[in-house]
Amino acid sequence: MGTSWNNPEVGTLSSHWSHGESPENGVSPVAPVSKRFSDQLIAVLPRLRRFAAGLTRSATEADDLVQAACERALAREHQFQEGTRFDSWMFRIVQTIWIDQLRARDIRKEDTDIAEERLGSDEPVRRVEARLALSEVRRAVAQLPPDQRTTLMLVTVEGLSYKQAADVTGVPVGTIMSRLARARVALQQLLQAGAGERRSMKDAEA
Amino acid sequence: MQKHSDEALVAYLDGELDDAERAHVEAWIEADPNVRDRLLALAESATTLRAAFADFIAEPVPDRLLAAARGETMAATEAEIVEFRPRRAAEPSAPPSRRWYVQLATAAGLFGLVVGGGVGYVGNGMLRPSAVPTDRQLQTAALNNWLDTAAGDYKLIVNAGGSSLVDVAANGDNGEVLQKISQNLPQQVRLPDLKPWGLSFQGARLVVVDGKPAAQLVYNTDNKAIGPLTLIIGSTKQPDIAPTFEKRQDLNLLYWRHQGRASVLVGQSEIGYLWGIANDVAWQLDAI
Repeated sequence: MGTSWNNPEVGTLSSHWSHGESPENGVSPVAPVSKRFSDQLIAVLPRLRRFAAGLTRSATEADDLVQAACERALAREHQFQEGTRFDSWMFRIVQTIWIDQLRARDIRKEDTDIAEERLGSDEPVRRVEARLALSEVRRAVAQLPPDQRTTLMLVTVEGLSYKQAADVTGVPVGTIMSRLARARVALQQLLQAGAGERRSMKDAEA
Repeated sequence: MQKHSDEALVAYLDGELDDAERAHVEAWIEADPNVRDRLLALAESATTLRAAFADFIAEPVPDRLLAAARGETMAATEAEIVEFRPRRAAEPSAPPSRRWYVQLATAAGLFGLVVGGGVGYVGNGMLRPSAVPTDRQLQTAALNNWLDTAAGDYKLIVNAGGSSLVDVAANGDNGEVLQKISQNLPQQVRLPDLKPWGLSFQGARLVVVDGKPAAQLVYNTDNKAIGPLTLIIGSTKQPDIAPTFEKRQDLNLLYWRHQGRASVLVGQSEIGYLWGIANDVAWQLDAI
């Protein structure tokens, strides 16, 4: 797939404005968009949000990322090749934009600053362990290095094959295998550690 | 890849090994209980991971993203902070409102409503002899017959040990499997990829639904909370219906019709899982 696509990240995001009106008031057309392409994009939005949620550290950030990916995809509509997987093409765009964003930021600072929203701090405490446990999983994913996080989300959550994930990320299948194994082991250890902490707290309370 | 490594175990779980590698890993697991425990822990963490992100598929997509996907831009929303809606961990939340299977889904599914429920149950010979059945009653009877058959087909395949009764077994080339099974069907069958749920495709059977051939796709997993599971896909001329939940003894069934295709998912897993899986199935059948 990687070889069959034109690279969706080439060019500028704002190039499409010349096709339509300026977006000064409310909803404005940006560029002529084929309905079929738009329908495909809408159909894949829930999975893009899920993927983005695994990469980023807040819901808002995830949706911002998906929105940027939509804009880029529409601007590159002509680069998508029929017969290839649309979802993989979009995953690649999301991942590319996310990496650009990471590079533009002070990543180390962010790594120690997991958004409270991510942890579900607005949830009433009584909303149980199941909910907390799932938040804990997302927090554990957020602690993984970016390349492992991406691979884990693509393969284990989104169900791509190793080959497809390799095409999306532009690395060899062997690299996918090693990243995935490291990520799965690290995740398991993080979850075990979390479960151990909860047990200790319960014991202490008792 | 080293033969005895975490990479090998993870690739084994993901179905990414060839026959020789798989046999080697299985021998390793057989020989060492610690490895088996490690494998189970890895599988469990993957299931937990998928559950942690499952709600994103079901919750409504924010309007600003829908607008962006249509090539519109909402200037006023560019700085908008969109809150995460509270999610429920193990239960299905409302599917996105843009989808065809939204409106009735939650109510019908979670609260056990049955299509045509107001008419009453008329399946399995329970039609009153003195009454002339209405079209709706006949449809309901046909629907119940379909679901009974689907439940029976599930029992048949599971009691037979999963894949031993399939007409075409999974052989690594699922395209070939589907081509063979589709030769007998009015429309080409697509194979939903349920790997994210830990479900691996075992094979396909031809079954009869409403007097017409249909495909029964068989999936299995070591996770007893989810599988085994069957998906029957047939053709229909009936109008679309949203996913609806039904029970047959100890089986949960989730069925829907869309654009000439009738589908029913059957399993013993809890309805929350079925909702999530059905959502993925519907998306894959319609969107890819």
